[in-house]
Amino acid sequence: MAWRRFRRNKSALIGGVIVSFFVFMSVYGIFFAPLPPRSFYCLYNGCANLPPFTNWAHPLGTEPSGIDVFSEILHGALGDLYVGVVATAISVAIGLLVGAFAGYRSGSAGAILLGITQVFFVLPVLIIILLFARIGQLLVAHGLGLTLIVVILGIFGWPTIAFVARGEIMRVKELEFVEAAKSLGASNNRILFRHILLNILSPIIVLSSLLVAGNILTEVVISFLGFGDPSTSTWGLLLQEGFSYVRTSWWVSLFPGIAVVIAVLGFNLLGDGLADALNPRIRE
Amino acid sequence: MAETLLEVEDLMKYFPVYQRGILTKKKVGDVHAIDGVTFSIGKGETLGLVGESGCGKTTTGKVILELEERDSGKVLFEGKDIYETLKTSSREERLALRRSMQMVFQNPYGSLDPRMTVFDIVSEPFVIHKHIPRSEWEGRVYSLLKMVGLEEYHAERYPHEFSGGQRQRISIARALATEPRFIVADEPVSSLDVSIRAQILNLLEDLRKRTGISFLYISHDLSSVRQVSQRVAVMYLGKIFEFALVDDLFDHPLNPYTMALLSAVPIPDPERHTKRIILPGDVPSPVNPPSGCRFHPRCPYAADVCKNEEPPLRQLGTGHLVACHFAEKFA
Amino acid sequence: MGELLRVDDLKTYFFTEAGVVKAVDGISFTVNEGEPLGLVGESGSGKTVTVLAAMGIVAKPGKIVGGKIFFKGEELQASSEKEMRKIRGKRIGYVSQDPNSSLDPLYTVGNQLVEVVKTHFEESKDQAWERGVKLLQLVGISEPEARMKAYPYELSGGMRQRVAIARALAGEPELLVADEPTTNLDVTIQAQVLDLLRTLGKELRMSLILITHDMGLIAEMTERVVVLYAGKVAEEAATPEVFRSPKHPYTAALLASVPRLDQKAALVPIGGGIPNLITPPSGCRFNPRCAYSKGICVDAIPPLEVSGERRLVACHRWKELDLRRKA
Repeated sequence: MAWRRFRRNKSALIGGVIVSFFVFMSVYGIFFAPLPPRSFYCLYNGCANLPPFTNWAHPLGTEPSGIDVFSEILHGALGDLYVGVVATAISVAIGLLVGAFAGYRSGSAGAILLGITQVFFVLPVLIIILLFARIGQLLVAHGLGLTLIVVILGIFGWPTIAFVARGEIMRVKELEFVEAAKSLGASNNRILFRHILLNILSPIIVLSSLLVAGNILTEVVISFLGFGDPSTSTWGLLLQEGFSYVRTSWWVSLFPGIAVVIAVLGFNLLGDGLADALNPRIRE
Repeated sequence: MAETLLEVEDLMKYFPVYQRGILTKKKVGDVHAIDGVTFSIGKGETLGLVGESGCGKTTTGKVILELEERDSGKVLFEGKDIYETLKTSSREERLALRRSMQMVFQNPYGSLDPRMTVFDIVSEPFVIHKHIPRSEWEGRVYSLLKMVGLEEYHAERYPHEFSGGQRQRISIARALATEPRFIVADEPVSSLDVSIRAQILNLLEDLRKRTGISFLYISHDLSSVRQVSQRVAVMYLGKIFEFALVDDLFDHPLNPYTMALLSAVPIPDPERHTKRIILPGDVPSPVNPPSGCRFHPRCPYAADVCKNEEPPLRQLGTGHLVACHFAEKFA
Repeated sequence: MGELLRVDDLKTYFFTEAGVVKAVDGISFTVNEGEPLGLVGESGSGKTVTVLAAMGIVAKPGKIVGGKIFFKGEELQASSEKEMRKIRGKRIGYVSQDPNSSLDPLYTVGNQLVEVVKTHFEESKDQAWERGVKLLQLVGISEPEARMKAYPYELSGGMRQRVAIARALAGEPELLVADEPTTNLDVTIQAQVLDLLRTLGKELRMSLILITHDMGLIAEMTERVVVLYAGKVAEEAATPEVFRSPKHPYTAALLASVPRLDQKAALVPIGGGIPNLITPPSGCRFNPRCAYSKGICVDAIPPLEVSGERRLVACHRWKELDLRRKA
């Protein structure tokens, strides 16, 4: 029934198509990209700094440093997908846990957690992320690559999820079927997991989709500002590299930029579309 | 008379009312939801509990099942105080007690988890109590569905595929799954269409006669209460005003509130013209109940004693209890 | 007695994603001055949609697709918003079921009353306020001046419903439509509100359409009844006749299935459920649940026929059936 609504919702469909394409690109990139990630091949083979659409071996052009834009976009797709999805997964896991605790057990524990959540909302998160990213790099040295970013984003992304989860749990736990479960003798754990969590999935799924979009965008910003990992392909990295010659080799900035816009748009549309499709309609 | 199954003695339940400050909240009063309620239900009997909004009838049902905790008073099930049992006994005994007392809720659209199939819903008691071997579940679920007038193939469906009346049947099947001896039915038909109500009411009566389960039938619809109850208790602002055999209460009420309540119910017969007793004012708030007899501000017979002294619930005639200073006048 | 509102073969359909819901499929009836009419039916009967259509406020995806509406002999173009606004509130007042949602929680009682008064009368704010106070007095609210300044949430359910009635009366309509006005109220408050409706009807010489599923209310408050089922009229008659000798099996079944306060008779439920209005049963819509259904009931839609003086019934077998309650 929700699937039918999903199909009819244009945003959801377009979003779904874009996201699928994005995932496809990432996977394709692993196997079929013309060049390996971060390969300076063209520097040694005379095809550096090629404009786009001139050479079909390098359809989107190459950087002055020899990096092939098309190749990097494919590899970057994987990188950004990794960041987006895994960071979101971490945030959701933490967020649900915190939200469940704060929402189900009303009382001081809940109030404290709510307070912490609200503090997180107020912090200038980007600055802090950049700070941690730099510190992390200095302390832990190379090799961690994107994982560091993923972990940091995950840790800073949980408040939204927790907040929504808490609200939803507080709403659902007052519904009669929860009371019915209590009257049957169900334990609190059972009620929480079997009844409540399953029923709050919809808004969490929607939020996750939007969070993925946000995480990708944040990654782009981090890498663009130079706080990312220069040895792993991401779109942000491409944008950073292209920045210095944006007037001459503009294609290095343009195509990754378009890719970012489309990917973020895709996840946003998907999130919106899911919000509509999964919206519980009150049946007569 | 039948053996007593459940006794409620001087039960009280207050809900605190807070005023929110910036950081803290201050208690400013209490809602006297139940303020000293006493009655009993016999084996295989349906007790109808009636009253208007705020009288405490739903809270009474919940306190009896320990879904809300009492503040004082006793709830004796088969002679044992259930609150003692739930606090001190072993897990086995506690689960057994839960199994013997079940509830059917008012809202057929909210009382079933929309993400569970009918089979899951009706078999959930088995999952929780683990008292029936897995191999028997299917058979039991099917026979429960049949008992409430549904079919076996309904078991695979989800609640949203059913009508309100059918959902109530599923709720009843779930309540029966633990083989309870007592069921609290809280306004089970109020949300249903008029022509469907009779189906569910007849089902409850039928179940009572077949299985000997006792029912506490909570409702504001007096006509349906007359239909299914053997005895009736009338509540007002947390107190029991009258308690009697059903025909005695409906034909010879001894409390002015009961009389007003009965006269207010429209009868589907244009030839019957009931003399309406129209009560002035609104149902008062249970936060600050009137002094003395709680009904005195609206009672057409109120005198000074009614304002100052609360009338005790006393016996007047066989099995007829009433709380009114002037009950003899109406006998 | 003049004719006030006449609905003629009204059809209102809802065009939804799931299909076309034929909520009102050919409903006709007449309301005369000074003759309170009851529209009785359960959910899906079309009782609310009918009057909303008569007032031109059917929400999308609903649309009037056929039939005529006459007010005092004049045909109403339900599609012309301008015309309908002249009728709404001024000539036909409407009280809905839920006083909690029909009153705007953000505005005081006074504001809401004044707004309605000013819509219908050219008056200054002070004059409109005075009118508001008088209206509150009319509906039996004590301390009306104080109440004008109150917000809906500060009032009890019974009072809110009175305010809703006052608001419906503000335009001095000739016809008041009360849609399940007491369903959400306590029984003793219901008695007060019904009493109020009765006296208002007499005092203001205002006619009443009472929409309800409660046969008890019908018996008490109305002189004529139209019984609706699944978007169609089952029967129409004077109230005492409908109870004494119903001619449509649905009416009889409904009477037999509702508990009565003064008797303990066995309840005879109506089996089955309310039909699906997107794909209603063929022929007579009640046939799957009817104890007297025969072949013709499935084949053909029963026409609304005259079965007595000012009596109509839509049943193929009305002539042969004796549906009176066996004592």
